[in-house]
Amino acid sequence: MTTIAFSLNGRAVQAEVEAGTRLIDLLRESFDCTEVKEGCGEGECGACTVLLDGRPVTSCVLFAWQAHGRTVVTVAGLPKQELSRIQEAMVGQGAVQCGFCTPGFVLSIKALLDSNPTPTRGEILAAVSGNLCRCTGYERIARAVEQLTRQGGSPCAP
Amino acid sequence: MSDTSRLNVIGRPLPRVDALEKVDGKARYVDDYRIEGLVHCAMTLSPHPHAEVLSIRTDEALAVPGVLGVFTAPDVPVNQIGCVFQDQPLLAAERVRFVGDRVALVVAKTRDIARKAAALVKVDYRPLPSVHDAEEALKDVAPKLHAQGNLLAHQKIRFGDAAACLAACDVVVEHEFEVNYQEHAYLEPQGALAVPEAGGGVTIAGSMQCPFYVQSGVARALGLDRNRVRVEQAVTGGGFGGKEEYPSEVAALAALAALATGRPAKLVFSRAEDFQISTKRHRMRMRYKVGADREGKLQAIYVTQFVDSGGYAGLSTVVAERANTTAAGPYFFPNAHVDTFIVYTNNLLGGAFRGFGNPQVTFAIEGMMERLAARLGMDPVELRRKNLLSEGMPLICGQALPPSAPSRDVLDTLAQRSDFDRLRAEALEFNRTHRFRRKGVGLALSMYGCCLHAGGQHLEGSGALVQVRADGSVEVNIGGTELGQGAFTVVAQIAAETLGADYARVRVLPTDTRMVADSGPTVASRTTIMSGNAVRAASLQIRSRLVELAASMLGCPSREVEVGNGAYRQVPVDPPALRPEVSASAPSPVTIDHPSSTISQANVRFPDLCMEAFRRKLHLAASGWYAPPPKPWDKDTGQGIAYSVYCFTGNVAVVEVDLIGGLVKVEKVFAVHDVGQVLNPVTLEGQVHGGIVQGMGWALSENLVLDKGRCLNPGFTDYLIPSSLDMPQMDATFVEEPYPDGPFGAKGIGEPSLISVPTAVALAAGDACGQLPDRLPVTPETVLRWTAKDGNGQ
Repeated sequence: MTTIAFSLNGRAVQAEVEAGTRLIDLLRESFDCTEVKEGCGEGECGACTVLLDGRPVTSCVLFAWQAHGRTVVTVAGLPKQELSRIQEAMVGQGAVQCGFCTPGFVLSIKALLDSNPTPTRGEILAAVSGNLCRCTGYERIARAVEQLTRQGGSPCAP
Repeated sequence: MSDTSRLNVIGRPLPRVDALEKVDGKARYVDDYRIEGLVHCAMTLSPHPHAEVLSIRTDEALAVPGVLGVFTAPDVPVNQIGCVFQDQPLLAAERVRFVGDRVALVVAKTRDIARKAAALVKVDYRPLPSVHDAEEALKDVAPKLHAQGNLLAHQKIRFGDAAACLAACDVVVEHEFEVNYQEHAYLEPQGALAVPEAGGGVTIAGSMQCPFYVQSGVARALGLDRNRVRVEQAVTGGGFGGKEEYPSEVAALAALAALATGRPAKLVFSRAEDFQISTKRHRMRMRYKVGADREGKLQAIYVTQFVDSGGYAGLSTVVAERANTTAAGPYFFPNAHVDTFIVYTNNLLGGAFRGFGNPQVTFAIEGMMERLAARLGMDPVELRRKNLLSEGMPLICGQALPPSAPSRDVLDTLAQRSDFDRLRAEALEFNRTHRFRRKGVGLALSMYGCCLHAGGQHLEGSGALVQVRADGSVEVNIGGTELGQGAFTVVAQIAAETLGADYARVRVLPTDTRMVADSGPTVASRTTIMSGNAVRAASLQIRSRLVELAASMLGCPSREVEVGNGAYRQVPVDPPALRPEVSASAPSPVTIDHPSSTISQANVRFPDLCMEAFRRKLHLAASGWYAPPPKPWDKDTGQGIAYSVYCFTGNVAVVEVDLIGGLVKVEKVFAVHDVGQVLNPVTLEGQVHGGIVQGMGWALSENLVLDKGRCLNPGFTDYLIPSSLDMPQMDATFVEEPYPDGPFGAKGIGEPSLISVPTAVALAAGDACGQLPDRLPVTPETVLRWTAKDGNGQ
């Protein structure tokens, strides 16, 4: 057992972890972050995406101790205004179906927009290519991001 | 019904009712349920495709600290499960019949401990010869999986005399097709939670499409009355058919653990387990023979096809019945002979998957149309047009195609919308000027029987409960489920439209067996029609009570009350000259002392009306029920009324093929769907986009590889579902010809969205390489074989 300390959604937290504890398990089991979903357990689907020091990572293939001294943000830790803006775009554009992949997409999108506020469609698709979605066919997710990148973007026609 | 101009809610791009909590991560999927005293389950699975179980030793697993119990076959009260045939053990006793057959269930304090202990259950097997091909399994020398032999069922269509007709046809084309499995790859794996209840019984929450299947499946396996099994659907992370029959097994295992330990128990599959042991789209082999006259008029079709069921029956016969009944696609054949053999093998379990047997036969019949056109020297689109079924014409099951069948509109719209001839010309031009890349264009049509087949019509009734609260908010329960497809959104729209309520204040509650009568499964693209009609029926009952009330409040006859836009208003229907007499005899308008009341002489807002109804003790709840008319069906000849209504679909795909690496990139897919009536253009288009990309995956990159029944690529690393970078440009168009028995004229879309996509994509890939594909998926290896053969890319 090792004690680690990190910032989780803006809060300083500590945890006792074993060497092999996965970050996703620590987040879900010790901190009740059930918004972090496990879809594959091998870092392929992106449902467990969190932001580690602002960068999207798959928490199912990280050890918990790798978060030590760093900041971890889940979808629940996004600033309210920012979350509601993303929510509005995703809901308005019909980018959500079963929703299991959605929190992971939201974080990849946030990371993209933080580093590149005006991405092209190609950049959008590349930025979310580590997040698999089996329901939407991705088109409406891309449209939601495009809406977010348009200054004062209006809800798009279907 | 086709006039939607007066509708306020139906047909509008309204936001989903369940989307906000999915974006912020608060929606609770089964693994997100937190409950005191929870224990976790893990399974011990057979590594053999076929073996005798000689002994099972559980002592080592039981000795692991944190393990509460290890359960095997004798612990299962009724160890014979199965949706149609009860040929499957919940935990295998004497024999295992596929890699992944369960032999033990371990229950422990944590999932980690349970999984580690499950690996310590020692099973002594005596391997038996196994069989991995449906046709091989039918031979005398093949090892027998079940007492009855390996032929699970033989389904037929006998229409006219196909054999005699073929012998006399001008042109006969014959070909064999084979398609591989497809894994659903819903992002949320299978999972269920079972909570033991005081007084006996169990409450289940889980990821599922069919709570009533789960209820009956759990009750059966655990030897309980169904009223002791309450099932609530958790928010479900995708299904696509994969959560039709299978969750009954998952829930029964969790329930077994819960009842045996007296604690809430959860079983959630790992992704690898989900790949190996849950159901797949069936692998099929199809031999087609089609005859036509010289002008291209189809005369006869003769089909022999084999459906690989895997180790147990599951829903294979039901899936196969769709392949059997729609083997001829959307075309008219005066003679048809179809033999569909459903066969046990030691492979993975086949089961329900979006399209349900139809995508397989669509690949075959459309491949035949291409081959026939080539033989006749005809344009393949023209050949299709010439033979398309239209309303009133007989299908191969003898049924006259019922109304709402705009097959020609679908084809014409598709050709126009995609500018098909120009696409083909562009591809030819591209291919003339490129050496290592080729473009190809493919077109495919399909016909899908909406709702359940005649063989399953006993499950067809569906219910709803609608309750209007005094403040004008509305609660809806349906027997159907939400798995991402948007069912809750369209039923909320139907309730809001019918009641005149505010759509934003309609809540659709999680599907719960306690709230609605057994409504059958959420499958077969039936939920909009079935649950939608049930919600409409319930809402209409409440509405008629509210209309009476509004009439008395407005002082007008009830026939003058019109509902819409959040209010009940008086719209005089009588000639003006007669009106004074009516008003003179009417009671004076009611005054409502509700603070927000805005009653005017001719208008009462829905919330005010509801408050007044509450005060007057009106019953503002109703249950609705919808069941379509009976469908007579003769199993021996495959003749009768197969489905209540049909949906027509067309897809055009444009691909670019890299001749050096063999990769096929889908550039564009056009989709035209006959949906009766559009209820919500956003959720509808979302279904079409999802179907296109999932269908494309099966056509190209999703190649499940089995070695003696063991899946060699049980995960997203090697089983490649399309990512955002694979997404083509998509164009969805809808043809509206209202279905008279659908809610506001609507039909289903869930499955039609996928069915002809794989074929259009595969034909396009073939077109680029000058080939006609007969295997799915078309992998890079296929492309390289093609190009090596004809010397392209040299």
